[in-house]
Amino acid sequence: MDIATATYVLVGAIFALLLTGLPLAFITGLVALLFTAGFFGPDALPLVTARIYGFVTEYSLVAVPMFVLMASLLDRSGIARDLFNGMRVFAGRLPGGVAVQTIIVAFFLAAMSGIIGGEIVLLGILALPQMLRLGYHRKISIGVVCAGGALGTMMPPSIVLIIYGLLASESIADLFTAAITPALILMGSYVAYVLGRCLLRPELGPPLSEEELEAPGHSRLAALKAVIPPALVAALVLGSIYAGIASVTEAAAMGVFGVLVLVSLRRELSVTIIRESLSQTINTCGMIVWIGIGAAILVGVYNLMGGNRFVASSILGLDLPPIAIVLVMMAILIVLGLFMDWIGIAMLTLPIFVPIIEQIGYDPVWFGILFAINMQVSFLSPPFGPAAFYLKGVAPPGITLRDIYTSLLPFIALQVTVLAIMLTFPQVATWPLH
Amino acid sequence: AQAATYEWKFQTTESAGSPLVKIQKDWAERVNEMTDGRVKIEILPVGAVVPPSQTLTAVGSGILQGHITDPSYFSGKNPAFGMLGNLVGAWSDPMQFIEYMNYGGGEELYNQLVEPYGVHLIGASVAGLESLVSSRPIREIEDLKGLKMRAPQGMVNNVFSKAGATPVNLPTSEVYTALEKGVIDAADYNTFANNQQLGLHEFAPYPIYPGFHSMPMGAVSINKDVWSELPDDLKTILETSVDYLAVDTAFRMHQLDLKAVAKARKNDDIEIIDLPKAERAKFRRIAQKEWANWAEKNEMCQKVYDSVVAFLKQRDLM
Amino acid sequence: MSANVPLAESRDAEHGDADDGPFTTEGARTRLDRCINRLAPDIGWLAFVAMAISVVEVVLRYGLDSPTSWVHETTIFLVAVLFCLGGPVALARDGHIRVRLLYDAAGPRLRRALDVFNDAVTVLFCAAIAYAGWVMVERSVIAPTGEWTLERSGSSWNPPFPSFTKIVILAATLLMLVQALLHLWQSLRAVAGRR
Ligand code: NA
Ligand code: NA
Repeated sequence: MDIATATYVLVGAIFALLLTGLPLAFITGLVALLFTAGFFGPDALPLVTARIYGFVTEYSLVAVPMFVLMASLLDRSGIARDLFNGMRVFAGRLPGGVAVQTIIVAFFLAAMSGIIGGEIVLLGILALPQMLRLGYHRKISIGVVCAGGALGTMMPPSIVLIIYGLLASESIADLFTAAITPALILMGSYVAYVLGRCLLRPELGPPLSEEELEAPGHSRLAALKAVIPPALVAALVLGSIYAGIASVTEAAAMGVFGVLVLVSLRRELSVTIIRESLSQTINTCGMIVWIGIGAAILVGVYNLMGGNRFVASSILGLDLPPIAIVLVMMAILIVLGLFMDWIGIAMLTLPIFVPIIEQIGYDPVWFGILFAINMQVSFLSPPFGPAAFYLKGVAPPGITLRDIYTSLLPFIALQVTVLAIMLTFPQVATWPLH
Repeated sequence: AQAATYEWKFQTTESAGSPLVKIQKDWAERVNEMTDGRVKIEILPVGAVVPPSQTLTAVGSGILQGHITDPSYFSGKNPAFGMLGNLVGAWSDPMQFIEYMNYGGGEELYNQLVEPYGVHLIGASVAGLESLVSSRPIREIEDLKGLKMRAPQGMVNNVFSKAGATPVNLPTSEVYTALEKGVIDAADYNTFANNQQLGLHEFAPYPIYPGFHSMPMGAVSINKDVWSELPDDLKTILETSVDYLAVDTAFRMHQLDLKAVAKARKNDDIEIIDLPKAERAKFRRIAQKEWANWAEKNEMCQKVYDSVVAFLKQRDLM
Repeated sequence: MSANVPLAESRDAEHGDADDGPFTTEGARTRLDRCINRLAPDIGWLAFVAMAISVVEVVLRYGLDSPTSWVHETTIFLVAVLFCLGGPVALARDGHIRVRLLYDAAGPRLRRALDVFNDAVTVLFCAAIAYAGWVMVERSVIAPTGEWTLERSGSSWNPPFPSFTKIVILAATLLMLVQALLHLWQSLRAVAGRR
């Protein structure tokens, strides 16, 4: 089998197996195993476990269990509930106010970390049930959680951009600087969309009525009391990063510690609550990480088969104008985003794409921003978006993948629009650099 | 040209965009020409097939045919890898190290160490001394006192700790943000040109150049069975081509460093510090004690220690 | 759940919601699954310890200017173990993400067939990884000279975590193999019972 045929068989096999209802992690892993044994014999199988070893010992993933644990503790204690009640009071008569506040919370989370799985899970556990409880429309709530949670890979510090910089030998400082404007535009577009829809149809994001605002439980003082403690935790995490006290990963651990202190101050700390949270942590990590493991194995085997050379020569062999080559790369990224997480995609494509981008004369920093926005799209896009999978793993029962995908469509449209803007006007991103 | 008789995949420890990968690809190209197309080597970037710490096993078992790697990745299997791969403070320029490997017994020792793993060293290359990046000026070894410095590997960590610094164990992906936000004051990271390219000098404006502490080997190795079955002419071509790769790597990386240094000199915010000779010697004396400690770890370590010390003494460097 | 319960029906409920209490049996198909489920929070303490020592590192480094040499490596190790064992836990709870489009639309017969197919494929996957894991562990604990040794990290602290992690990978895949074999046995009996 030549590499072109092998590529089509490989992708075809993955999609066919997905239909059987086999777990995604096992599908990518199994296809990779079969190709390893088929192409290189059983002696090459240790390649598979070497990839697993490399993936589970990846330092940037240490923050994932911390985020899940933090979310789970906030959720199981009364903190999340009180926080969103309080936020609702501050949103006052503004329809969709809590959704807008959730986007802002997501933006702060994005400034704390850059790992997409962790943030979506955190918002999914924390914000989604609360918005649903407050009567917010299901689709808007889901969209806000996934799109907002994805912002982490745009907003510095972004581990995606750090890995891009290291893989491409590009200035991480330039990448961070160039990422800020597009990240703000993305956030702004989500806010505008949510407000627009809720102002037209207030029942999508029901505000408090006059009577409720008068009610004793809804005083601004009580609301402030509910909002301040979680805000302190956020300040602890952000502060320890920006004051140089902790590394990005350590800061996530500081966040868990802060939440534990809060929970015990509320006299809600018990072995049960911790055990339940830890139970959820290991389950959610198992889900996220084994999807990543499957993809990591696939990347290793595909590279060994010569897939990287094949992709590079196919792209250059298309004989297209440079901008069309960039569009082809975007399309490849979106397809890979269907069944891989960003680490796998970055490891597979960037070593191929970045040299081509330099060869055809584009700015690799600009491409890094395109890559980051593209990752946002591919995390959300159906039929197999990792963000939707992560959210499904923690969403309240009764929310199906179909619900999630239909909710995400408008947000994907917004992301694609921003991507088009960046493709057409690179200076929107790179203006602070010149 | 005819179809290649040998098609090999070599995984390097460098990332795809690194200038070292370009240099190594040029080497593969030259090997292809010199063998009249009989040998075709593909250079794969770091992590393409297996993680960098696992390439020794992958080459030994034939998953990969070769690798170009910093042997320090395998210190956990035998500390002698770390001693041969990057003996802290030992070398003051790439050619000195290449001389040791080719004429001072280094290659033979490395092959004694690595052949039981089913791997054969063709030859050594080296990118050059790494430049320490720091947000605080280090004008003498005394200034290391209390400096929070990222130092991941075993020996670097121990030597800097003995020199008075506070080593912090951080992975590569965290260095940028940690330096930027001030979690650490300094970092053992990469060559001057590479540090400059990543933008580290913007908030760690006191780089030390020329470097003094760390110079990882780029060991070019091949699966032992593949090697032993090669005809002699190909063995000679490969060995000679790697000797040239060593020169090509050292001088091309030096050119990049010089360009980056010239650029940094024009920037008033960056002060490049050239550590005085006496201070460099002071650091080497501290490092030597640590080499002696490592020598006790096993027989192979002792052999490496004896051989390096003999080499340095012969040149009045110790 | 006894092996005689028709599997397709027992798996009709919405799955994948990880928000279970620690003692829930939802998604668990066998006694082994339920046992793993009960142990999950105990394994979860690894994350708690990783968090606690990270905080210790920050306090010691920032507050007392004396960072540890062991926290980062230990954190990575603990989290790696958590990730590996997360595989069996998610398998025990049916928590691995799967696309249920066709499965949900299928009739009971096709579902039982899909169950057998999926469980068999999972067995194959786990067996192949376990074999590869065995080879990896062998190379990690036996030096080329033939003597028993442990692969270490090579840092200044130099713990044998690489060997330990590799052993845990092997253990996790072996556990998943046993789980998958029991699942396969169960779904085969479901098919046989309906014939
Ligand atoms: Na971020
Ligand atoms: Na997608």
